[in-house]
Amino acid sequence: MAKEMIAMLLAGGQGSRLYALTQNLAKPAVPFGGKYRIIDFPLSNCVNSGIDTVGILTQYQPLVLNEYIGNGQPWDLDRLHGGVHVLPPYQQASGSDWYKGTANAIYQNISFIDRYDPEYVIILSGDQICKQDYSDFLKFHKEKGAEFSVAVMEVPWEEASRFGLMVTDENDKITEFQEKPAEPKSNLASMGIYIFNWDVLKKYLEEDEADPNSENDFGNNIIPNLLRDERNMYAYHFSGYWKDVGTISSLWEANMEVLDPEHSGIDLFDEEWKIYSRNSGMTGHKIGETGVVENSMITDGCRINGHVKHSILFAGVRVEEGAEVEDAVVMGGTTIKAGAVVKHCIVAEKVTIGENAVVGAMPEGDSKGVATVGSGVKVGAGAKIGPAAMISTDVKEGEER
Amino acid sequence: MINSNIDALGIIFPNSYDDLVPELVADRLMASIPFAGRYRMIDFILSSMVNCGIDNVSVIVRKNYHSLLDHLGAGREWDLTRKNGGLNIVPPFAEKTVKVYNGRVEALASILGFLKSQKEQYVVMADTNIAVNFDFGRFLEFHIASGADVTVAYTQETLPESFGEEGTDNKSLYYTLELEDTRVSNIRINSKASGVQNLSMNIYAIERELLIDQISQAFVRGYVFYERDILSPHLVTLNVQGYKYEGYCARITDMRSYYTENMKLLDDENLDALFRNSQIYTKIRDDNPTRYITGSAVRNVMAADGCVIEGNVENSILFRGVRVAKGAVVKNCVLMQDTTVESGANLEYVITDKNVVVTEGKELKGTDTFQVFVEKGKTV
Repeated sequence: MAKEMIAMLLAGGQGSRLYALTQNLAKPAVPFGGKYRIIDFPLSNCVNSGIDTVGILTQYQPLVLNEYIGNGQPWDLDRLHGGVHVLPPYQQASGSDWYKGTANAIYQNISFIDRYDPEYVIILSGDQICKQDYSDFLKFHKEKGAEFSVAVMEVPWEEASRFGLMVTDENDKITEFQEKPAEPKSNLASMGIYIFNWDVLKKYLEEDEADPNSENDFGNNIIPNLLRDERNMYAYHFSGYWKDVGTISSLWEANMEVLDPEHSGIDLFDEEWKIYSRNSGMTGHKIGETGVVENSMITDGCRINGHVKHSILFAGVRVEEGAEVEDAVVMGGTTIKAGAVVKHCIVAEKVTIGENAVVGAMPEGDSKGVATVGSGVKVGAGAKIGPAAMISTDVKEGEER
Repeated sequence: MINSNIDALGIIFPNSYDDLVPELVADRLMASIPFAGRYRMIDFILSSMVNCGIDNVSVIVRKNYHSLLDHLGAGREWDLTRKNGGLNIVPPFAEKTVKVYNGRVEALASILGFLKSQKEQYVVMADTNIAVNFDFGRFLEFHIASGADVTVAYTQETLPESFGEEGTDNKSLYYTLELEDTRVSNIRINSKASGVQNLSMNIYAIERELLIDQISQAFVRGYVFYERDILSPHLVTLNVQGYKYEGYCARITDMRSYYTENMKLLDDENLDALFRNSQIYTKIRDDNPTRYITGSAVRNVMAADGCVIEGNVENSILFRGVRVAKGAVVKNCVLMQDTTVESGANLEYVITDKNVVVTEGKELKGTDTFQVFVEKGKTV
């Protein structure tokens, strides 16, 4: 049975700008918002939009991601026909290759897509926090009679030159594409989410592959080629919450915005658009006799006996008596020992912060650094970690970094 | 075939002791009573079985079981969606003369055919009125090593007060054991003895073939209760061994114990004791983490995911999706799923069932010994 539209999710990114957080896992597997991982957002969007077939293209450190996705059951993507499939590069009769670029990743999986004989293919990226109804996007694509559509966000003009921009006419038809231009002609930034008619995409992928000079990239090659041939290309305006969490500071910021759904626009309490995830299965969290919690999000398995303010704590975090946590993102299984001070920072999974250690600091003046402690790190008692530090190895007792 | 699992199938009686907590089972059965913030009573025994490698579990339901079917589904959360074995929910077979079973014997008789067709050598059986992280592996080892025909697990404790009260419904029999060394020499029914007793947990191990024999014979003779009619009269010929369980055990015997057993989990030691051995599985609801909004004040509270707390909460257990609005005060309470406490409301020693709404400014106060109970879906 043919599918109307299937999704291909680009999840091979190394996320090198998240350095300490992505040493052992791919960017889409980075934890977010207390109990999620980044990839939960596009996957939940798919399911909530009625897409039941998703190919996940992995390449960098896929172990955690593979295990996390499993058979797709937490997202209701364990289907008889379709469902979720993790697609790493593989050896073929003609040889084997890593995914050379985003377009090449899809090219290498043409036969996967063909099995479902879809009319449309949506290309998603695995590093964005966004709740989006792809069925509305598809409706737009069909109404316009488009062969290619791209979701765009209006960004402030002064920031426009940081993005790939779509220049459109009054009917949202794309007339020009500018990749990070010095002089922007538009403020419509591409979100990196595309809908293609499959027959068109396939043709361009094959053509792109045959071009030895191509970088095999959607933004640099496929989209310019479509423009060259004057294909029917449209820009779909999206106005909800969208955040690329490719850097430590944007990841931290996006987490903090979760704490303020009334103003920031990212509402995880939306019964109509649930974000699904693989659950920790731990028992409920506990705020002890000495625990104080202010304006924070806390999930299963946490034990709070210290002071937690404006922070996000993932499953199984322990905050001992006298410890202070503020403006912090603390990932699963981390222990913050008595008297430690953890502020304005991201602490990854299974970290131990020793007694009276100090991690990060509230910003003063121009210093806006977000201290980052990588997973599994042990920070010794009394150690001090500066506000801009990026720690991925153990810190000895009393040491300063 | 290599058998990495223990060679036993499980049978669970989810309706046992329903009548001890009539308020809580108005719409459900013992097995689906919410407990410990995010679980249902059956999760403990069922997870215990699964964690010991039992992957063939039958749940013999009797009545009021819609909520349990909804909770268990196909058994996926307990890893019991299996081709061989897995979760087997047996509703009453409303036909002929057998309508709804009364005791364990009738319940087991209704699955005799199933029991005969299984391959496991042993059967373990349990009720759901106890929340326990039970090691069935050790239990079965004890059973085999002792050469017992039947092994029953017990705890040493004084009998719950409600057991001694007048007018206790005869349907809820409870059993205390007299032991010679480890062998059971006498089974007392509804004893009112004071002091520490050997109180049966109604967890049994027996060889499958023997159970089939016992049940076939007993059913023909019209017996109803396994303990009273099969074990008790034959203690001389039948080697019944007692297995002393010394781990953490939360036993629901009435509304008050339901309250205190929940509250006891506010003590980390108890919570760890109940959850330490291995994970207890439950139905996933995909709630977001719990949110504490500026202005909330929380002390000594266990809360599940999906709550939104703006008011004051102290010494309480909050189940999934509870909302406590600004200015509301919740003290010494057990609030089940999706309870909403509106602003200015004041709750002390209250148990609310699911989906209760306490409207603005209302005051509800129970006492340490007698808690106010608000039934499912009610608006106060």
